[in-house]
Amino acid sequence: MSREAIIQEAIDTILKYDQPRAVQVAEQALAEGLDPVDILTEGFSAGIRKVGDLFGRGEVFLPELMLSADVMKSVTNTFESAIQGKSTQKKGKMVFATVEGDVHDIGKGIVISLIKTQGIEVIDLGRDVSVSKIIETAVQENANLIGTSALLTTTLMEQKKLEDELKKHGLRDKFKTMVGGAPATQRWADRIGADAYGEDAAEAVEKSLSLLNK
Amino acid sequence: MEKYFTRLGDGSAVWMTEEDIRWDLEEGMKDAADRGRIPELTDDEMQRLFEIITHPEKTVSCERGNEGVVTFDAGTLKLPVRAGIPMDRMATILTHERALCSDTMELCTTDYSYKSIKNFVHEEAMSMELAQLNSIIPIFYGAMPNLGQYTKPDGPIDNWSELLPLAKIPEARAAQEEAVEHAARDMVYISSIVYDSGADGINFDTVGASGDGDFLATLKAVETLKNKYPDMPVEIGMAGEFVLGMHGQLTYEGDRLAGLYPHQQVKVCEKAGATIFGCVINTNSSMSFAWNLARTVTFVKACVEAANIPVHVNAGMGVGGVPLTNTSPTDATSRASKAIIEIGKADGL
Amino acid sequence: MAVTHEVATGMGGIRTAGDLVARMQMTKGMKLKEAKEYVAGKLGISVFELSDSYRMKEIREQFDIGHVLDRDKASYGMEAKFNIAKLLGIPINSVENFKKKIGMI
Repeated sequence: MSREAIIQEAIDTILKYDQPRAVQVAEQALAEGLDPVDILTEGFSAGIRKVGDLFGRGEVFLPELMLSADVMKSVTNTFESAIQGKSTQKKGKMVFATVEGDVHDIGKGIVISLIKTQGIEVIDLGRDVSVSKIIETAVQENANLIGTSALLTTTLMEQKKLEDELKKHGLRDKFKTMVGGAPATQRWADRIGADAYGEDAAEAVEKSLSLLNK
Repeated sequence: MEKYFTRLGDGSAVWMTEEDIRWDLEEGMKDAADRGRIPELTDDEMQRLFEIITHPEKTVSCERGNEGVVTFDAGTLKLPVRAGIPMDRMATILTHERALCSDTMELCTTDYSYKSIKNFVHEEAMSMELAQLNSIIPIFYGAMPNLGQYTKPDGPIDNWSELLPLAKIPEARAAQEEAVEHAARDMVYISSIVYDSGADGINFDTVGASGDGDFLATLKAVETLKNKYPDMPVEIGMAGEFVLGMHGQLTYEGDRLAGLYPHQQVKVCEKAGATIFGCVINTNSSMSFAWNLARTVTFVKACVEAANIPVHVNAGMGVGGVPLTNTSPTDATSRASKAIIEIGKADGL
Repeated sequence: MAVTHEVATGMGGIRTAGDLVARMQMTKGMKLKEAKEYVAGKLGISVFELSDSYRMKEIREQFDIGHVLDRDKASYGMEAKFNIAKLLGIPINSVENFKKKIGMI
């Protein structure tokens, strides 16, 4: 099977949530000597981004989104040994939390599930998490990226507090930051000095990858 | 080249050329038509939208005779709680009636979820009785279905937000089905008591915020209430422009709920017995006001045309083309208001 | 936000006939045009006049259905709603409750 056919097949298995077939395709790619990182990025990950886009249009639902993420997990396991030391794209570690005073985490859960499928390790601190806890974990884990979510206009200020505290402790350049949640906007991200804003789950994935490649 | 003052979806000011505004109007309209699989706006309607957006005056208003009716969600939360004005709910209702000239009002409590109201519903009923003695405008009682409140740690049911990422799909679905029954029962219980105390109607607000289960619970509650009180006015106000598929397979009278857009949502609400439908179209904060408004009007027009009941479009912070800021500029709000009523032909806001 | 909408496209509540049109949407599920025509018919005025606060002040005082500025002996709150129910030919939930409580029905 050609590279193009394998890539198409990989995308298809994700769109159809077909775990056994996805693993078969991954094994076939390895057997044919194709670059696993290439197949992951252009095939399976592209499929995930497509599912994310369909989810954003109300054409695919959360269970399907989670199933596709699960298929992706099996594929990455299959590729794991082959990929070691061959990454063309810088992947990293991300600390993620819903800010203090806010207990909403449906959106955060969706974003994390998708980001994980792109080979980024995510440490989910849950909801109602203080800025000090977020920074402490990011330092301990040597994270590259900090993502915060806030649903309420009243808790949005915690995202600014995070930026201020990072600056105060001389840590601002150590991490990239991304903000999201219903009242957050690009302008808000610019104002507080966050590195990125994710409008929805699909955009959050794209922006995370882009930040890690910087 | 002449530039017009307008806004971005986050409320910030921007100057745009005629070409850019027309481009964004076209793109916003087409995005709605494509997502909802609904008709595009006509050239005349697009021209009217352009004229509304570029009107030189700061605020705009509808032509005489085109006015619509206004209903409120989170009614008595806005002045005494969010604005911090030391006034009780009775004074809030009368302020809306006598000073702000609202057509209707909603009595509600700070914890705006039906589940939370169970413990003090009889006190709420007393407040409703008092409000009804003193007010003239129709007073709804309202809250949110908030299905998430039935999950651990706040409720008895396993949390599907935790089950889904573990790919425990059947378990997550079963949990939602169980929560639907709890929520529907609570909504019927509370609505019955406040209606018996004289409420003019019941408002189910932000429906679908916890997904298709949230919507199903509301539809079931409305159906039961309408069987019990055939004359009860019921408004169903949605949470978003499409129903989030947290479960994905829930149906009401044969219609799958997940993924329904406003023109489809209203038909399901009609089947359940709703009297007013609160249509929601989300504002994208990164796009221009023109893009968002064209998109909103396209969805609204299709929804109103499909509906046999009045449609009141949500036009608050971050919905209905209104920018995503809690102090939305009046230039943008008034333009959204006019376009929704006059081009979208909504029955109210 | 409420004020902006009211000024831009709102009917005007009890300054005009906003509450009455709202009642017809709520109780009969009437669309805007039908609700306005129904109310105008009951008041004996044109649809155009429903949102004219000058005309509606006279009408509201004539039918004694409450207005933003009270005067002595004018109907207020529940009293005004008794008159609205009669005028529009619809039951108003709180009015029916009131009647039951005082033994009228």
